[in-house]
Amino acid sequence: MCAMERAGTGVGMNEETALCTICRQPVGASGRCEHCDEEAHIWTIQDWRPLLTLSLIIVLGFSFTRLVVSSFNEMQRGLAAKYYGEGNSAMDESHPARAVTAYESALVYSHNNFQYRLKLTDALIASGASSEARAQLRDFREQHPEDAQVNLKLARLEAHDRNVEEALHYYQQAIDGVWPDHSDPLPQKIDARLEAAEYLVTLGRKDEAEGVLVAVAAELPAASAEQPRLAELLLRNGDAERALSIYQMQLSQRKNDPAALLGAARATLAAGSYASARRYLEGIKPENSEAARLRTELDRVEALDPFARSTTEKIRTERTMAAFRIALERLAACGAPFAQSMTSAAKTGATGDPAQWSGFAKWAEQLAPMMTERKLRGRDEVIENAMRFALRAEIAAQSNCGKLTLNDEALLLLARQRMGAGQ
Amino acid sequence: MKPRTERSRELLTKLMATPVRRKYFETLRRMLGPSGLVSIREEQFFLVLAIAIGLLAGFCVVLFRVAIAAARVWLLGSALHPSTTRLLLVPAVTGLVIAFFAVRYFPRVRGSGVNQTKGALYIYDGYIGPGTSVAKFVLSALAIGSGQSLGPEDPALQIGAGLASAVGRWLKLSKERLRLMAPVGAAAGVAAAFNAPITAVLFVIEEVIGRWSAGILGAVVLSAISSVVVERWFLGDEPLFRVPQYRLDHPGELLAYAVLGVTGGAASVVFVKIIKNLRPWLRRQPQWSQYLQPGIAGLLIGFIAIWYPQVMGAGYEWVDLAMHNRFPWEVLGILAGLKLVSTALSFATGTPGGLFAPVLFMGAMLGGFVATVEQQLFPAIAVPVGAYALVGMGALFAGILRAPMTSVFMILETSGNYSIILPVMICNSISYVISRAFQEVPLFDLLSRQDGLDLPSLEEEPERALLRVEDAMHPTLGRALLGDEAIGSARGIVASTQEANFLVSLGEGRWSVLGREALLNPEHNETELVRSLIRARVPRLYQDQSLEVALRFMKDRPMLPVVHRANLDLLMGVVSVEDVLRAYRKAGVAEPETAEVS
Repeated sequence: MCAMERAGTGVGMNEETALCTICRQPVGASGRCEHCDEEAHIWTIQDWRPLLTLSLIIVLGFSFTRLVVSSFNEMQRGLAAKYYGEGNSAMDESHPARAVTAYESALVYSHNNFQYRLKLTDALIASGASSEARAQLRDFREQHPEDAQVNLKLARLEAHDRNVEEALHYYQQAIDGVWPDHSDPLPQKIDARLEAAEYLVTLGRKDEAEGVLVAVAAELPAASAEQPRLAELLLRNGDAERALSIYQMQLSQRKNDPAALLGAARATLAAGSYASARRYLEGIKPENSEAARLRTELDRVEALDPFARSTTEKIRTERTMAAFRIALERLAACGAPFAQSMTSAAKTGATGDPAQWSGFAKWAEQLAPMMTERKLRGRDEVIENAMRFALRAEIAAQSNCGKLTLNDEALLLLARQRMGAGQ
Repeated sequence: MKPRTERSRELLTKLMATPVRRKYFETLRRMLGPSGLVSIREEQFFLVLAIAIGLLAGFCVVLFRVAIAAARVWLLGSALHPSTTRLLLVPAVTGLVIAFFAVRYFPRVRGSGVNQTKGALYIYDGYIGPGTSVAKFVLSALAIGSGQSLGPEDPALQIGAGLASAVGRWLKLSKERLRLMAPVGAAAGVAAAFNAPITAVLFVIEEVIGRWSAGILGAVVLSAISSVVVERWFLGDEPLFRVPQYRLDHPGELLAYAVLGVTGGAASVVFVKIIKNLRPWLRRQPQWSQYLQPGIAGLLIGFIAIWYPQVMGAGYEWVDLAMHNRFPWEVLGILAGLKLVSTALSFATGTPGGLFAPVLFMGAMLGGFVATVEQQLFPAIAVPVGAYALVGMGALFAGILRAPMTSVFMILETSGNYSIILPVMICNSISYVISRAFQEVPLFDLLSRQDGLDLPSLEEEPERALLRVEDAMHPTLGRALLGDEAIGSARGIVASTQEANFLVSLGEGRWSVLGREALLNPEHNETELVRSLIRARVPRLYQDQSLEVALRFMKDRPMLPVVHRANLDLLMGVVSVEDVLRAYRKAGVAEPETAEVS
């Protein structure tokens, strides 16, 4: 076989395109190079069989490679699924470190599987490697800035690390983002909104939380399973009225629903309607421990509330003195005597603003001489001042001074009623 | 059973049963047959062949990558972190098996394959034995799959070159074309292995061909592209690693990158020095120890891998993680150092496998390390770890493999982000300069010299002074003769000088030379034209052409005209063999290196 043949001097050459093989200049009609005057050589292929054979080899090569790659991909998919399953099991069994290894192994065989990568970030967060998870999530976000799942995970991560503004930013991005895996994104969007609202409520950012909750209430279907969660958040945010209306709507659908009854009781208690709260609680079976606890709380609050309807002057003064005493005890729990303990606490930095504590100390000193039945009688402004002191002291000591007693809880509830959830 | 020829004839008779079919067959036969009307010229055929080579090399490299992955699963298990027993046993035992075949039967598969391909191009007329290619495929897949710290790109280069060589020999190509087949296949191999055609083309030019050659560029580009098409068809167009977004916010950040350039240069020098000393030392050991060396290297790497499994294999998955800030600074530093040691062990013991991937691994880890340290020292400066890892890869590539163009374009091609070009160029330049300052000979040249070969190097090429025609030519004393003037007129000019030969301008840039005797021969009538005495034309030269080119055209001609490029009839001077030799003597070069004609 001779695939290429050296033709004679210029024989059969294409004059327009032929180039001299020595100097690459155009070859003239004479078959000699215009430039170097060398004889121009040209190769022509005159037997196509080798090329056809080569084409056949390429076709066979393609088929064989395809066969091998298909079975290889199959094997890789199998391994990826196996390790992904192992990762999920490890997560279910609360072994995040094992899950990280399993998800990483799955990713070796399914390099760009987005779902696997998201799961890996979950495992990383759970195993405490939040900086790695954050780096991964930020990288995803660069690639998919609209992805709601990524933004939501970033929001949770930032919330966990107390980066409030970043967390709120990512929550908003998640709410506005795209949910690629769901045809109807509304439930996911509502869920993201509720999560954001819960975060805002926890932060005590009442107005922002209210905005988000109102938006959720507007788009949440009446029959949605998320209605109790919405009502709960509204209640926690101090909006007892809206919460109560949701519970009442639920009770209109299921009259003796214990959860709705309990919620309605809480809402009415928060609104200061002790009688209504008691009525709702009566509809719940006595063995319901949550209801029993609320009943006790209701009794306590009612027993401590000097502003409750149809309260005599004597009872009002007694309740005021009791509240003052409970608040002082609560402050003393932060260190006794509390005025000195405030100073030492300020030194250690354990209980926040020292000026606040010294303020309470001065305030208590001023009020203490007035805390007798005689001095309080008929002096509503002193009662008001003493109750303000008691409620503010309970709020200030809420997270810094140890376990709450039932009385403290009752006073806090009163504080929320009178001052709002943001206090 | 009828013989095959008879059966073929019967089939043909059946096929050509009708006149219409016969007509079509006849037309086809005339077109394709030995005296066919359809014919393509050599250059065109070579380009078509380059595409075919690219496709075939693409298939081979896809299978090679599958083989590496399958070997990894088969030998080390499918889990990301293999068991300690496997880590200690697999690389060691596989190393012994590989050494047996490599030392005893296929000595040319040892090492990366770049020098072997270069050797095929410059020494063996493009010949790479089929056994070598097959053994390279199998043994490299086993070596990398078993965890030796080597990469698939350089073996893919040799496999591609071997395939191209086999096809060229099968088609009985001329020696000249066969020689060029090796780089064409090499480019296809690297392109498919690295999923980066531009990088592959530049790498082959810088490291295999060793010089810029326009003649082969088209074929190399076509083969690289077609192999990448195949690779992406089968394995997808996902990049080897996910490159994070990068933006240069302030020019001051470049100073921080310069630190990486210095670190990369230093690491490059250390790595090359280790290879430079360890490889010949290991080769000087008794012959029997050659069978053990890859196994021992495997054992040591397996030992390291008990704590740092990242050092095994090519390690692209870890590069990806480093780019995404998954390792703390101390781990990045340790991985860079351990990979350097592991790769040096694997490579110096002659285990088949490439340096491309380990160099990138080291660069990424070093880049990440510098970035995380800078982050802690200068928190005010924006130090994106991913970008540093990427730039670090380029810096190590430029420093160790000394392929500066490839190192820059590789980063651009893999990142697809041109914002990173400034840091890359700065880092690579610093690393390259440091590497050159402390290690004069590039790594691949060093290896070929250790193997007793002296192959051309692109890095050393420009340093040799290039002598041009203008350095040798001398001006003409009088005017050139004209083809259309009468012999009588020309004799007047001839008589006025003592010159033995005279240039004749024939118009339209054509020239010839006539001797004094021919012009003064009384047999010729004075009224005849000088043109009538011309028997052959001579090539013309330009002032900027090299003296090597002038010598090629000189042959036994007494002189050649040097003309102006814009006016081919304007004589700038003449040059003779004596002029050329005088120029070489003057420049201090005894004679041109004929093998280095540019």
